[in-house]
Amino acid sequence: MSKGMIARLMGGTVAAIAALGLAVSAQAQEKKIKIGVVYDLTGPLAGGGSDLHYLGAKIMIDNFIKQGGVEGYKIEAVYADAQSKPDVAINEAVRLIEQEKVDMVLGFYSSAQCVPVAARVEQLKKFMWITTCISSAVLENRNLKYVFRAQPSGSQFGEMSMDFIEKNAKEKFGKDPKDLRVAIIHEDGAYGVDVSKGNEAGAKKAGFNIVLKEGYAATAPDLSALVTKLKRARPDVIFHTGYNPDITLFHRQAREGGLKFSALIGHGAGYGVYTKLKEGLGNDVNYFYNVDPISIWETNQKSLDQKLLPLIKMVGEEYDKAKPGTTIRSAHVGMAASNTYLFFTEVLAPAIKKHGGIDPDALRKAALEVDVPEGGTMLGFGAKFAGEGSPVAGQNMRAAPVVVQYVDDKAYVVWPKSQAQKDAVLPFPAGTVYSAK
Amino acid sequence: MQSFLEIFDIYLLEAMVNGILLGGLLALLALGLNLIFGVIDVTWICYAELVMIGMYGMYFLVQYYGLSYYVAAPLAIVLVAILGALLHYLVIAPLLSAAPINQLLATGGVLFVLQSFATVAFGVDFRNLGIRLPVLAFADMHFSYSRLLAFGAALIGMVVVYFFMTRTYTGTAIRAISQDRQIMALMGVDTKKIYLITSALGGALAGLAACLLVLQYDVHPFVGLSFGPITFLICVLGGLGNFVGGFVAAFVFAEIISLGGLFSDLEWGYVLAFGFFIVMMFVRPNGLLAKRS
Repeated sequence: MSKGMIARLMGGTVAAIAALGLAVSAQAQEKKIKIGVVYDLTGPLAGGGSDLHYLGAKIMIDNFIKQGGVEGYKIEAVYADAQSKPDVAINEAVRLIEQEKVDMVLGFYSSAQCVPVAARVEQLKKFMWITTCISSAVLENRNLKYVFRAQPSGSQFGEMSMDFIEKNAKEKFGKDPKDLRVAIIHEDGAYGVDVSKGNEAGAKKAGFNIVLKEGYAATAPDLSALVTKLKRARPDVIFHTGYNPDITLFHRQAREGGLKFSALIGHGAGYGVYTKLKEGLGNDVNYFYNVDPISIWETNQKSLDQKLLPLIKMVGEEYDKAKPGTTIRSAHVGMAASNTYLFFTEVLAPAIKKHGGIDPDALRKAALEVDVPEGGTMLGFGAKFAGEGSPVAGQNMRAAPVVVQYVDDKAYVVWPKSQAQKDAVLPFPAGTVYSAK
Repeated sequence: MQSFLEIFDIYLLEAMVNGILLGGLLALLALGLNLIFGVIDVTWICYAELVMIGMYGMYFLVQYYGLSYYVAAPLAIVLVAILGALLHYLVIAPLLSAAPINQLLATGGVLFVLQSFATVAFGVDFRNLGIRLPVLAFADMHFSYSRLLAFGAALIGMVVVYFFMTRTYTGTAIRAISQDRQIMALMGVDTKKIYLITSALGGALAGLAACLLVLQYDVHPFVGLSFGPITFLICVLGGLGNFVGGFVAAFVFAEIISLGGLFSDLEWGYVLAFGFFIVMMFVRPNGLLAKRS
């Protein structure tokens, strides 16, 4: 080998190494956070509301991508479908983390998925931001370090509805709480069971007479036995937690079975998708109540941080574009959008600025420092997460749902009083399908 | 004693009647599946998914094309009948001499194909026909018209299938084939044609079930999950291929679900029903009405 050749070879090698180094540094310069987003795009939960949450999160993620990212970090989202199955949700979360190498996961609609996925993600020491699922079991007494939930918890849902009825019992029903007959019915998954526990605790606190508490499988082909039991128990108020197909089946069978009661309070999921309820049940849904975080389009705009208003408008416009012909915009879309926005602005940005990056510990530190006052999110509530040592570590302690009533194809906030847009119509007016009069 | 007697109230009667009506619905579903098994000796695991396609057919015919329910129903039945024949022609026929497990897996595959097809083609939304039938009230009890219709259809379907099988040439040929597949070809019966007719008939029964289910249930790609497993269990409980057994099993199952749910938790109704199924599999493995061998 001649000297010249050796020199050329060495030169070539040096050039190659230099080029490689340049490429590496170029890559290092292009900072990026890769987010794994998991919702149910197929299976029964998709139509039950999960696809709307997916839409809300996507609108917000796309918004930040369009803006060029957060604090110099580009954003890349990898979407995965949990197929309405807990095992698929776990596998997809693990696949995103181990194979797609995402920096964190975000989303999760079903509580049945959230409980195992949270444990698995914690084990892998990755950051998990829950936008949707509400079961208390996800966080309660588990002392998770990297799992945070912006959404209110199931027991808060259950207690909110009971509080609403308790405060209105005397005035609207003319009865003392102890004489008020209440029934609690729920699908028997993590979500339904959890809300029903909140209902039961709230009912006991209020001193109501619980005449029936019963769970059922969301895929049950028949609920007529439940209707018959309710007829026998004669409740004044029914507290119901369910997904979509079971809710419509229940009400269809309740109407056919001649069940009468004075008020019905739903708790999110299927009750949050008014368009579908109306399609399946017609005018029977008039005067139904739903407990959910407020719809971002219904919040009292004066009490909100004013910089959020154009975003709320933008989410609404994108929603209308994606789902034309929606009569009442579902609160689901706004929930995921707001909770995703909270992550980008209050967790990701400070993590990069103050804690030096996007690793799980930086994100965790930033999350624990979040201190958003009431009115600081599109959902009206604030944000402050319970830290280590708390029995509900990771839970947003300032999150709270509201009680909404559907009246003539419009949704009004009726509880708590501070947010109320209208006085509640309670009990059902005479002549309506479930009214005894 | 007093509290024991208290359970014998009007609600108990209502629950019993509701059980009978649910039984009618399940019997209707089991009828087609039993027919296919009895003759072709193949279990369509995807049977409830055929029903789902029929329900979508009804939904689109009524909601999009504005047809009346009574015009749409025969069209939906024909649609599912064609689908049943196609299923046989494309999937079952090439596997007729294969091991039973292969046939089972193939129809299981069709189940996922149909579910995914519906998800892609129709989306994940829950759809509703928007027809609300009046309520039948009688002596403080209330019953569902759609369930009564399903009950009536199951009875009529059962009788029609019975007469078809016993009084027509094709029916006789179908029964003969179910007794001996090989020999009938030697007797000059076109077995391929008979299989195709039976599959279409099975499909038509799925279509009929779809027309009645759509009155009470929302249509979505996974609606089959609510009915598929229970229909299959009923067929096995009654003895696969035994029409009368399937019919009886449907009512026994429905009554256990209904009364079990009334006296205990709703979920216990299902636990009892499935527990009963397991016990019967030991006691009468060939079905409720099978002759003891």
